[in-house]
Formats: sequence, structure tokens, C-alpha cells
Amino acid sequence: MEVKQFSSIYENGVTTYCPGCEHGLLLKFIGMALDELGITEKAIMVGSVGCSTLAYKFLNVDYVQAPHGRAPAIMSAIKLLEKDKVVFSIQGDGDALSIGIAELIHAANRGIPITVFMYNNMVFGMTGGQMAPTTPEGMKTTTTPFGRDIKQMGPPLDVCKVLSAFPQISYLKRVVITPKPIYTKDRIMYSSKEAMDSYKAVLNALKTQLMGGFSFVEFIGTCNVNWKMTILDSKKYVHDVGVKVYPPGLCRDAFGVDKK
Amino acid sequence: MGAKAIAEAAVSSGLEAYFGYPITPSSEIMENISVLYGERKYPWFKVFLQSASEIESVNMLFGAGAAGYVSMTATSGPGLSLMAEGISYAYASEAPFLIIDVNRGGPGLGNVAPEQSDISFVLNSLGHGGVKPIVLTPHTVQESMEHVHKGFELAFTYRTPVILLTDALIVHMYDTVEWEPPYIVKPKVDWAARGRNYGQRHIINSIYLDPPELKANKERLLQKQKEIDKIAESECFMCDENLDVLYIAIGISARISKEAVLRLRENGVKAGLFRPITLSPLDKDNLLKYSSRAEKIVSVEMNEGQLAQEIMRITRRDVDVLPYLGGYIPDVEEVAEAWK
Repeated sequence: MEVKQFSSIYENGVTTYCPGCEHGLLLKFIGMALDELGITEKAIMVGSVGCSTLAYKFLNVDYVQAPHGRAPAIMSAIKLLEKDKVVFSIQGDGDALSIGIAELIHAANRGIPITVFMYNNMVFGMTGGQMAPTTPEGMKTTTTPFGRDIKQMGPPLDVCKVLSAFPQISYLKRVVITPKPIYTKDRIMYSSKEAMDSYKAVLNALKTQLMGGFSFVEFIGTCNVNWKMTILDSKKYVHDVGVKVYPPGLCRDAFGVDKK
Repeated sequence: MGAKAIAEAAVSSGLEAYFGYPITPSSEIMENISVLYGERKYPWFKVFLQSASEIESVNMLFGAGAAGYVSMTATSGPGLSLMAEGISYAYASEAPFLIIDVNRGGPGLGNVAPEQSDISFVLNSLGHGGVKPIVLTPHTVQESMEHVHKGFELAFTYRTPVILLTDALIVHMYDTVEWEPPYIVKPKVDWAARGRNYGQRHIINSIYLDPPELKANKERLLQKQKEIDKIAESECFMCDENLDVLYIAIGISARISKEAVLRLRENGVKAGLFRPITLSPLDKDNLLKYSSRAEKIVSVEMNEGQLAQEIMRITRRDVDVLPYLGGYIPDVEEVAEAWK
């Protein structure tokens, strides 16, 4: 079988993410969408700090490495100066919602046409599985060994609710990127619906930016290593528990790109 | 006013983007720049934006620098503390921009009167990991204008953050100016992240996960520092013979010390003033030359003796400190008395 080579993805660009992680899948979707829209040459990626930092090794586009959480500020400046370029970041939930929520909120409130792709795996992945603002109630992490206590730490932070408050956001969506396990008589299969939905969200977020709007997509994914689960269990967890804490849905679509 | 002069110098020199957060005593610079934004005379001035914090400001500067645009901000000590993170990243990934630090009283909230107490902070690694930006220290309003112009050029020539270290007094002072800043000479920015050019990627990065890679990058930056060391500039006022006393001062302290030197000369005391124009790199050759001629060295500064520490380290001599703390300004009589 011939493997299609994308101009936005490095030749033989095999990601080094842990087996079972959907981060590499997200990078591939972004690369595919850049090629499909023909904007690879004018794309500028702003990297964050976390597992998403590694994105620059696989996506073959211009790149600026931001300090932890500050990607939206850097993107704002680049976009305001280079109006015809496509500027996007890939951030984790710890990066975007813990240390970087101020930068995210202000960039969103200004409605600068940039795109934030946020991979939400409900923990700090790169640093070894500490609690994030998004960690569900009761989840054990290395800093909440007895499970997250929401009386002390508050409930998991729902970024779509937070960002819904800002009128200048044009596209706001939450999708599940983790494929759903399907049990058949003799084997386990994985659904492809999540991948299709995620790709569509990436595409529409970039389209929204091209139409002049701020777009944000949250991808609910796994981190089986830090959740101390098998790959199968982590995928089940997302579909059993994750979707209840973070129900997928379209929160804003000002230009109607999702309907088409 | 100093702030107005700085604003006009910046915009005429080719400022393309201003990002700032209000902080006394620097806000007048931002206000004066906001007035110039959108004027037909300055078609290159593309973006003026009030950020939500100094953290956002510095990262916007970083973004603009990474894309190869001339950008600056003005802030004061508390803001500069917040910017240290971004300056470290920009230094490591070689993004150029200019920060004007209008020094106020510190530490903590301190007050809004002039001090020169950010010297140690900017000289001894402005940010984590060993950061050495270029630091310019003007002592008049006209020199502030010249330094803004020069700051842009140095930032782009050496691809590094530049700090213009000044104080609340110079920025609020009315002064005669006889200089019209020309447009800067900006080197080619073919390294800038503005999108792939015929498949050629531009990476503005400070992550080097393998120790050999990081070591090589640090060595490259140190090598660049050797080039930067060559731009060291200083002024020695009345330093032509053997000296009874050599005063050392920057900024407004230097301007006042000049007056004291003149008074001492009238009384037959051989006094001189060494004034670093670039605080980093410091003009070590001239400092050693002139300090070796002097019987006594007195550092006049609006802090507890931060500049004196640097001078002692280089000259390996005792340096008397005439400190002014809390927002007090050097007094000509007191400075002149200090030679004894």
C-alpha cells in the first residue's frame, strides 16, 4: 500500500509519544488539514510546554517555542503583524488552563484570528502525571494520591463553559479524540467516528481562522501511562467517565462552518 | 518631556509594534506612543496593543521579534520582574526587542520615585539559566532618544533583547533636544518565522533536550557575546590626567556628578567622572585605564551600591559608595564633598 506523504509532515515523521496516546493522531490531523486547505506554506505553529512541545519534530511548518502557557500571547503578536498567515498552537490542558489561562482568555476575548488546539488528558503528562485543573473528581495522580478532593481543589475546569462567556470567539468545540472500544464476539475493535469528528473539528477551526475568527478546539484524550492504566482501560475510561465530565459538543460556530 | 522624546524616537526609528501594560512611572511613554499610532507619517507602525499583564507584553514582544518585527515596551521594576521569564526565552531563541525599564523605588511595591536599583537584576542574569541582554544607560533626554534608535539596531544586529535602563527622573524631565532620529538600518530577517519559504522552515526555539545540543547552543551564544563585548561604550568626563578622585555613575546620577566634577575643578581638585554608556557590555578597558589613574574611586548611585559591586569586581579596588535610597536624588554639594 502506498503511504501518502504530506508536505506538512516530516518524511518518516514517526512520533515518539507513548503507545496508546492520541497526541500523534492530533498532529497528523493538523498536518492533513493544513495540506487539504493548502496553507502549509503560510502556517506558523507556536509550541507550548508539555508533551505538545515535541510537535515541532513532526509538523514541517514554521515554529516558535513559547514559554509555559504563553502561546496565545505570542500567537496574537504574530497574527497582528502577519495578517495573511495561519497561526495555531497545540497546548495541553495544564499549559492552557493552569499556568496559561490568563493569556488564553485575553487572546480569546480580543477575538484575534488564531487557533488553539488543546489536548486534554486530564493530568500533567510530561512532568509525570500530576493533578491538572481538569483532573476529574477522585482521580488518583502523583500529587493527589487519594484522589482529587473537589472540596479543596474545586471541580474539574470546563474550558468550553469558561470561553463561552466571550462574545468574540467564533468557533468553540469539544470533541473526543480517543477511539471508542467496540466489543465483538471474539475481539475488540475501535470506532473510527472519533477520528473523523476530530479531523473535521481541526479543519473547521482552521477554516474559521481563515474567515477571520478565533477558534478553539478541545480534544479529550488519554494518558494511559500517567493514569496507570492499560491502553484499553484508558480508552474505556474516556468513554465511560471522561465524556460525562467533559461532554463533547459544539459551543460556538459563528460562521456556520460545522453545518456545511 | 523624556517620555515624549522616547516615543517619537521609537516611532521615527521604525517601531513596528508596541505592546505595553501601564505602570508608573513608565506609562507616559505608552500614552505618547498611542497618540502616534495610525499617523500617516509612520506607515510602518502596524500594531499598538495594551496587554493584560507584563507577562503578556513580553511574550507579544517575543512573538513580534520571532517574526522579525521591530517591537518595544516600556515598564518599571515590578513589570520587569514579571518579564524575566520571557526575556530568558527570547535570549535563548534569539528574538530581538527593546524594553525600556523606567527604574522606580524598590524592592517590592516600593514607590514611584526614581531609583537605580534594577542594576544588579539586569546585569546578573535577567531571567533563569544565565541571561545577558545588552543594557544601555542614557543620562539625558537626547541620549535616551539615541539609545532607543541604537537599541533597535543592536537588537536586530545581534538578535537579542536590549534593555534601556533609565529612571523616573529622566523620563519626566524637560530637556533640550537637537536630533531627529533617522529610520534604522535593519538587517535582513530571513531567519524570521513568517511561514515556510519554498519549503525552508524557520524555527525559533530554546529547547535542546540533549546535553550536547544545549551545550553547543550555549557556546554559540557565548561566542556571540564576545562580538557584543566589542560595542562597549563609555564616557570619561575630565579624565585627561592623574586624578584625585574618579566618580562613577550612570543615568541621572552621572548628570549630577558632572556638575560636582566641574565645581571640584574650580577648587583645584582633580576630579573626573567615568560613565558607562553601555552597562552591559561594560567598557572594561577604559574603566581600568581611568581607574588606575585615580587616587580614589567614588560610586554615586541611587541604590545601596549595586554598580560599585560591579566596578570592584573589575578593578579589584575599593570603591566608596555614595548611596541615595528610597527616591532621593544625588545632591551636587554632597557628591563634591565625597571626594575627601
